Amino acid sequence: MKHHAKLSPAQAHTEQQAGAQETRQQAGQEFVSADELLRYDAAQTVVPPQIGERLKASAASLPPPRRPWWKNLFGH
Amino acid sequence: MNDPAASPELLEHPPAAWPAREIGALYEEHNRAIYYLALRFLGDPQRAEDATHDVFLKAFRKLDQFRGDASARTWLYRIAINHCQNLQQSWHQRHVFATSDEAVWENSAARTDSPLRVLETKELGQRIQQTLDRLSEEYRLLLLLVADGELSYEQIAALVGQSTDAVRGKLHRARKTFAALFEQTA
Repeated sequence: MKHHAKLSPAQAHTEQQAGAQETRQQAGQEFVSADELLRYDAAQTVVPPQIGERLKASAASLPPPRRPWWKNLFGH
Repeated sequence: MNDPAASPELLEHPPAAWPAREIGALYEEHNRAIYYLALRFLGDPQRAEDATHDVFLKAFRKLDQFRGDASARTWLYRIAINHCQNLQQSWHQRHVFATSDEAVWENSAARTDSPLRVLETKELGQRIQQTLDRLSEEYRLLLLLVADGELSYEQIAALVGQSTDAVRGKLHRARKTFAALFEQTA
């Protein structure tokens, strides 16, 4: 059976700090480049849903888009 | 432009109230890229929200002018870059990092080739924004465009009006400067 000695307050504090540090490191990440870091940041970014709602309202007042000239010419 | 029918979400929820189905597809596919560019370029979520709205509205108005000889993504980026740069110029809210100061970072002894370590991911956005804010507008824009991952160097060069070689060289310096400044935010 493994024996656990009782820790002094100072030792307990040190171990808590070490544990917290370990947790942060476990939660931490490494990025090899600025590109990768920014890609990760972009992937985490949530687009506010109200933009879509505002656009829907704004676009509703727009006239229907004209058919592009090249579509008239060549079809599609 | 991509076929709107290619979006399963649109098939389930067709944006019938919108003037054209293409508009919904365009927004669904590219809203994150445009919002992220505006957010990190302008450095303000509210301004980024307004800018994203305005960029897509401009795109919708010009939809008939989109000829399909460029990708929809680069076309939207062109509108977004012009819009954000105009906002920056007219509002004069940006503190531009002087070139001479930036050279200090570029020449610093910081280990810019080492991995960028992040312990607290919840603060990551703040650190990235602080770093980008200290970069020149040109470097910031180049890094944001290359981070998209869907743009080639040639497309980025066309968007910023420079040669591909110039873009490669500036990106190298921008990455180095970013890494040095990012370490300062730790």
